[in-house]
Amino acid sequence: MRDRTRRLVFLALLVAMATALHVVEGMLPLPLPIPGAKLGLANIITLLAIYLYGFRDGLTVALMRVVLGSLISGMFLSPGFMLGLSGAACCTLVMALLLKYTNCFSMIGVSLAGAVGHNLGQLLAACLLLQSGAIIYYLPVLLIAGLPTGFITGFLLNSLLVHDRKSGILRDLVRT
Amino acid sequence: MTRADKILLAGLLLISLLSVAVLYGRFSIFPAKAEPVQAVITAQGKLVRKIYLTEGVNSSLVIQGRVGPATVEVDGTRIRMMGAPCTGQVCVKEGWIGRPGQTIVCMPGEILIRIEGAAPVDAVTR
Repeated sequence: MRDRTRRLVFLALLVAMATALHVVEGMLPLPLPIPGAKLGLANIITLLAIYLYGFRDGLTVALMRVVLGSLISGMFLSPGFMLGLSGAACCTLVMALLLKYTNCFSMIGVSLAGAVGHNLGQLLAACLLLQSGAIIYYLPVLLIAGLPTGFITGFLLNSLLVHDRKSGILRDLVRT
Repeated sequence: MTRADKILLAGLLLISLLSVAVLYGRFSIFPAKAEPVQAVITAQGKLVRKIYLTEGVNSSLVIQGRVGPATVEVDGTRIRMMGAPCTGQVCVKEGWIGRPGQTIVCMPGEILIRIEGAAPVDAVTR
């Protein structure tokens, strides 16, 4: 019972952090004029949630983050929200599969694959929304934009986990 | 960063560059089929002429409207009503048109010039 409460609280904290990152990141102007490309800082929290609790809780955090973030920024149920939802779901799926069934990747690799998964999910939703496959021409742009951002988020999480291996803060929070 | 990470990064980079080459390259597997832009001229409800608006083609033609002959001028990718027998001259003042969706209407002569083709996107919002 205590464990369940602890987990619930920690998941809520993760959702809150992811939402905050999502919203603040949306306020930042992008140096590149590429619609749909973002730094994806909130993805750090999604990956952390998958790492700590597994696919289902990671998906919960990701979807809750998209819904809450869109409510705050006033984009709920807009096309951009649909793309974000589909992207987040695909991204979570890809990252969870990699974390569960492979162990040769560090967080950087997982995050890179997640970024690509996010782009594919976005484009899939865009195809369905626009009822046309022509949006596939946008894929190379998104892919190239997604590689550095995926790398950056993966690198950040890697640093966090390396730090945690020494200090053990996350481990204590999750497992006591 | 492990070895597998580097391989994955290199692979993804390769795939994205390859997708650029495939989708945007000259020898694209999906050739862009551009719909030709054409001006459709109707007078009194009947189709009179369809003119492809391509670069370097200049011509003028006379359309018989209800109140008399009107002169239409084609200059490459644009078209205009050069002269009309009506009093308002609204169609003449419309000037040149050339984007799909644009129209010139001569009410007294019942002449309609309409540009057809794949309409380009006006703007993108997010």
